[in-house]
Amino acid sequence: MSWITVIWSMNAAACLTLAAFYCAVWCKQRENWVHLLFSCSAVAAAAISAFELGMLSAQTVERYQALVRWIHLPTWVLTVSFVVFVRLYLRAGRRWLAWSIYGLRTLVLILNFISPVSVNFRTITDIHHFSWGGEIVSVPVGLPNPWGLISSFSLLLLLIFSVDATITVWRRGDRRRALLVGGSMIFGAILAWHVPLVIWGVIEVPFFLGFTYTAIVAAMGYELSNDMARAAQLAHDLELSDQRLNLAADSGDLGLWEWDLSKDEIWVTPRRRAQLGFPVSGKITFEDLISRWHADDRDKVRQALRDAIENGKDYDAEFRRVLADGSVRWVAARGRVYADKHGRPIRLLGVSMDITSLKQAELEAARQRHDLAHLARVTSLGELSSSLAHELTHPLTAILSNAQAAQRFLARDAADLDEVREILNDIVTEDQRAGEVIHRLRLLLKKGEPQKHCDDVDLNEVLRDVLKLMRNDLIIQNVTVDTDLAQNLPSVTADRVQLQQVLLNLVLNACEAMADCDSSERQLLIASKSENGAVEVSVTDRGGGIREKKLEQVFERFFTTKKEGMGLGLSICRTIINAHRGEIWATNNVHCGATFHFRLPIVRSDALSGASSKVLDGSALTVLDASAPRVAAPSALLRSAANGSEAEELRVSASSALPKNGQ
Amino acid sequence: MPPPPGPTVFVVDDDAAVRKAVSRLLRSAGIAVAAFASAKEFLAQHDPATPGCLVLDIAMPGFDGLRLQTTLRETGSTLPIIFLTGQGDVSKSVQAMKGGAFDFLTKPVNAKNLLPAIRAAIERDAVARREQAELSEICARLDTLTPREREVLEHVIAGKLNKQIAGDLGITEATVKMHRARVIAKMKVQSVAELARLTERCGIRGTNSLKSAA
Repeated sequence: MSWITVIWSMNAAACLTLAAFYCAVWCKQRENWVHLLFSCSAVAAAAISAFELGMLSAQTVERYQALVRWIHLPTWVLTVSFVVFVRLYLRAGRRWLAWSIYGLRTLVLILNFISPVSVNFRTITDIHHFSWGGEIVSVPVGLPNPWGLISSFSLLLLLIFSVDATITVWRRGDRRRALLVGGSMIFGAILAWHVPLVIWGVIEVPFFLGFTYTAIVAAMGYELSNDMARAAQLAHDLELSDQRLNLAADSGDLGLWEWDLSKDEIWVTPRRRAQLGFPVSGKITFEDLISRWHADDRDKVRQALRDAIENGKDYDAEFRRVLADGSVRWVAARGRVYADKHGRPIRLLGVSMDITSLKQAELEAARQRHDLAHLARVTSLGELSSSLAHELTHPLTAILSNAQAAQRFLARDAADLDEVREILNDIVTEDQRAGEVIHRLRLLLKKGEPQKHCDDVDLNEVLRDVLKLMRNDLIIQNVTVDTDLAQNLPSVTADRVQLQQVLLNLVLNACEAMADCDSSERQLLIASKSENGAVEVSVTDRGGGIREKKLEQVFERFFTTKKEGMGLGLSICRTIINAHRGEIWATNNVHCGATFHFRLPIVRSDALSGASSKVLDGSALTVLDASAPRVAAPSALLRSAANGSEAEELRVSASSALPKNGQ
Repeated sequence: MPPPPGPTVFVVDDDAAVRKAVSRLLRSAGIAVAAFASAKEFLAQHDPATPGCLVLDIAMPGFDGLRLQTTLRETGSTLPIIFLTGQGDVSKSVQAMKGGAFDFLTKPVNAKNLLPAIRAAIERDAVARREQAELSEICARLDTLTPREREVLEHVIAGKLNKQIAGDLGITEATVKMHRARVIAKMKVQSVAELARLTERCGIRGTNSLKSAA
């Protein structure tokens, strides 16, 4: 076998190998078109080599003519793919030049196939054999085709294009790439000029276009392989960076996660994955993940996610995770939705952290607050004890007298059973009344679970309850109470007992403030109204008032002006009102005394089912809650607007004997 | 003239249920009852001539039991008052006692204590009224005396002899005797001792010294 056959075949084989390799690469990374382009170039280069080999060993004119004609096809492919490669991969070369080359080469291809022989030769008359490097090679002898000039011109354009692209890349600072790819293309474009020279009979060498192009293909291949090496390096770096990130996440006890919405596949950092009890590999779906959360919290999480995905809001949730051993951990998760270019959400990326200890501290704080409130409640009940005894005394007196009257009626010869029946009815009623007193008392004394008591509360009702509870105390202290309660007051969502405590404290305070006043001056005005989406209650006394600079201080813990006071009452009022998202403040009246006000938001009851429990378990402090929408119920607003505050007079004591001074 | 009303117990309590039950208990014991929801209501309707007693709740809103006690005393009423008190009203109870309350009973009040107390109070009221009536009668008799007879009376109850009286008044002994007989007759008494007892109840005391210009 001649060395020419060996070399040209090897060249073709090398090109085909490269083509096959990059084609395989392209199959794995379909988005990387450069690899396919390169494969095409390499196949074309291999084909050119094969055609050339055929031409070098061609023995008949017909065979040569056919080969010369068909070699233009791979040449077209190669030229076009070179130019596209430069444009795509090097991002260089002028567009108009590129299009000129595509156009000319295509024109050459068309002319080639409509010419009798080829674009290069009008006719091939003979094949000239000569010895080259010890081997006999064939070159054509014939009449060159003038259209071949177009082919030469396209070659010139290719050279200009290559030089221009090389300069661009060089200037960009990517000199190695400019030298290698650009240089090889310039070199190839120059060497390719041997073809017209041979055709025009200027020089006598065999065609070696295949090698010229192979050089370019090799340079391109080398460049692409560099990319792969770089990718490998990047992969390595990425792994390192992944390790660092995992370390950071693990040491901060953070879990990073990503949810691919289209595939419903969730990735989480390995440690969290292990904690959640998932195997090291394998797909995790959303349902898999949520099954790890506490059953009571799943709907909440789903809702938060739906909110995030549908409304593009940041995802933010707190929930409980149940560990394999049954223990429960609190988790806070934050995340953000990423959309594709059409705005469709495709990914949710986020971080989660264990907030169990924080939560426990919060709960502990809430519990302490709760305990303290309870203690204060019991204390204030102590102050009311005589009053409460009275409350029970009345029904008990009525019951005893009724019962003894009945005994007497029955002892008569002709017992009046109607009378006895009526007596028994009265006894039942009074017994129920006593039961209610005890029930009210028990409610106030009860400690209960801090979270569980929120419901819709009519503040007017709470007020009346408190006044009933304090009725006797007010009588004994000669305090007259006037009330100005707005009708149809919208409900607030609150802990009834705690609000009772606030009102009890405020009324007790007001009574104490007036202890030194003349008994005719001891008037208390309690008013309720609704405005701006809130319900406001005010307790106005006619005592000595509060010194201006102490107005704020009175709500501080352990601040007291009383001899026996602990200074807890008002501070607890503030704690309770704040926990209900309300505010409490004191003002001095124009003439005498002070007024304590508190305001609570009117809240849509359905929006509160989740949020309200937070009011009292202390989690109102978390960031999570601050973002929760608290919308006043429109219907409630309408109602309050329509009714205004129609004054309702509820006299607790017969006060008409007392002078009533306007304040 | 209508017959004098029988004894009535006035119940004043702001708690309707208590009022009703206590009234019922008293009726069961055959006692006439009039119940009032407040001190003012009682004052507006009360006829001081009606005998009986007052069962009064000490702690009522506004016009309370103590104030009613004071008001009644100021108007000269002698109606006995039985206070019903709660356990916590020690200071008010003390005040009521000082004001001359007839009795204190703590709520819930037992019929065993209430009924005897009421009967005792009614009895005392009856006695007081009887005494009052007698006194009025004596005063009425006294009013029938002429000034001279009155002078003689005062000397007689001072235990003076007719002669001394005659001397003191500058009249004859016979005239003294005549006046004295008239006084005994007008005052409807049997003896000087009885006369002295009656007049003492009216606050008239004997004259020991000579009255020059009466």
